[in-house]
Amino acid sequence: MIRVYDISVRLSGRQVLNGVSFDVAPGSMTAIVGPNGSGKTTTLKAISGELALSAGRVAINGHDLSRLRPWELALKRGVLPQATVVSFPFTVREIVGLGLSAAAATTRPERLADEALEAVDLAGFSGRFYRELSGGEQQRVQLARVLCQISAPVGDGEPRYLLLDEPVSSLDIRHQLTIMRLARQFCEGGGGVIAVMHDLNLTAMFADRMVMMKAGRIRASGAPRDVLTDDAMEAVFGCRMRVSVAPEHDTPFVLPQAASI
Amino acid sequence: MGGRSAPELAGELLHAWRRGDRSRLARFVIVVLAALALATFATSIVTGAADASLGNVLRWLAGEAAADQGLSARDRIIILDIRLPRAVLGMLVGAALAVSGAVMQGLFRNPLADPGLVGVSSGASLGAVLAIVLGSAALAPLLALFGVYALPLGAFCGGLATTVLLYRIATRGGQTSVATMLLAGIALGALANAVTGVLVFIADDKQLRDLTFWGLGSLAGASWTKIAAAGPIILLALATTPFLARGLNAITLGEAAAFHMGIPVQRLKNIAILSVAAATGASVAVCGGIGFVGIVVPHLLRLVIGPDHRYLLPAAALLGGTMLIFADMLARTIVSPAELPIGIITAFVGAPFFLWILLRGRSHMGL
Repeated sequence: MIRVYDISVRLSGRQVLNGVSFDVAPGSMTAIVGPNGSGKTTTLKAISGELALSAGRVAINGHDLSRLRPWELALKRGVLPQATVVSFPFTVREIVGLGLSAAAATTRPERLADEALEAVDLAGFSGRFYRELSGGEQQRVQLARVLCQISAPVGDGEPRYLLLDEPVSSLDIRHQLTIMRLARQFCEGGGGVIAVMHDLNLTAMFADRMVMMKAGRIRASGAPRDVLTDDAMEAVFGCRMRVSVAPEHDTPFVLPQAASI
Repeated sequence: MGGRSAPELAGELLHAWRRGDRSRLARFVIVVLAALALATFATSIVTGAADASLGNVLRWLAGEAAADQGLSARDRIIILDIRLPRAVLGMLVGAALAVSGAVMQGLFRNPLADPGLVGVSSGASLGAVLAIVLGSAALAPLLALFGVYALPLGAFCGGLATTVLLYRIATRGGQTSVATMLLAGIALGALANAVTGVLVFIADDKQLRDLTFWGLGSLAGASWTKIAAAGPIILLALATTPFLARGLNAITLGEAAAFHMGIPVQRLKNIAILSVAAATGASVAVCGGIGFVGIVVPHLLRLVIGPDHRYLLPAAALLGGTMLIFADMLARTIVSPAELPIGIITAFVGAPFFLWILLRGRSHMGL
């Protein structure tokens, strides 16, 4: 369980997060949504431990985040940043290998790296140079690296977590589905996922919980069908539009064509 | 690697390399570089104006020749007190410069960082000059306490101050700007040189004699005393690098990503900055500023074995030492019996090389 207790964050004098609280249970996927600048990424950074909190606290499996050392944290959660610039000519295999060396000792590093690349649909890419890949391919390589670091959803008798910052933002539709299914599998294996998302429809399809933010506060949270409403779309995103329900899956969806701003 | 035939080994290296795993290749290259370093070291001892051939030296070392045969007493002195310390110092300083370059490039996430280019060497020179000029006046009792270490210590402090300042200026929010770093480095270097100029201006005649060799950058003054002064500091700095390697690998993805992967980033940066300052400071204290080794060596190695610091750092130490001894052999044989300052040779090779990296990598470095 990741518990976020009433956290606030100030960045260069500006209050960016204000009293944000929610829980992430193992086995579930929580998506953080909201307009640009609403504090989604900042929330994720606060949970990953890289930002200092001005108030509140975060606990991961009952351990206070501020008391965990970096290498202890690295065994409990993996983080996928929005985009990663690599300054030296690493091969794909070497980037993925960075995740391996962050993980607890494994007996078959070679297999693990191959499996991770396969999982993100990049089998056969290990000998390519990272910088020569497209943005979407680079993002999937980084996810493979994180999957090597957090090789199983449960480890040392504890659930582990994936923190994903816009994991599908630069992917084609097929790979969006691949990656969301991968995250879903991680949940079904007993781990937890927190993802910052822009695509509300994908979120509604895959997330168990939706945390909707605006201006550094949570405006609504709960199951996607409860959070994603006509009123919320107008109040949070400033889009007057109808939220419909796809009959086959019983999930809500929005059509941008139907919006008026 | 033992127990397999050469074709088997080559096949295995090639297979791993195709799959993007250059670690086996890197280990192989390190073994080759170690052999090369040994060979260059031996060659430099038997090369020079005086005649002390390889055969004679070996016979003497084996204890086969009588005192007056093969190697004259003069040759023995030349070898023991001139060439050997020179080769040892060359190996140490070359390793220090190349490894400092590699560590700094890793830390700044940019292949153009080099202690010589971004003012760290100038800062170290200033520290050493301060030690010389103030050493015979205001700070005399304090410096007497440190003995032969006073100069390396002064250089270390100067180098450390410059590196810390540079990092503060060029890094904001965990990201280092290449352009800011290079320009700030030029400014800091110029400032350090200006202060050094003032100190030279107020120095007395004796101090001036001590100061003149700073500008040159040379191994010519190598002695066992200098090795005793700089050697331990350089070795200590080199000894930290195995502990830095994994962190420097992780930090190439950015400071946040390194933290996510379990690296205590602040501690990594502190140790890296300390060892760069120590290695550069000690080198500058005994040899003056020798430029470009820290750029050329790591870059060449990255082309072959890749940027993994676990292999890059030891390989850089070996190749740096080898290249500096080689450059020194050139320096003392091209215009023999006179000598060129070694800095001229490293600059002739290094400066065009630097421009080549700059032009090739412009798009990657945001310039």
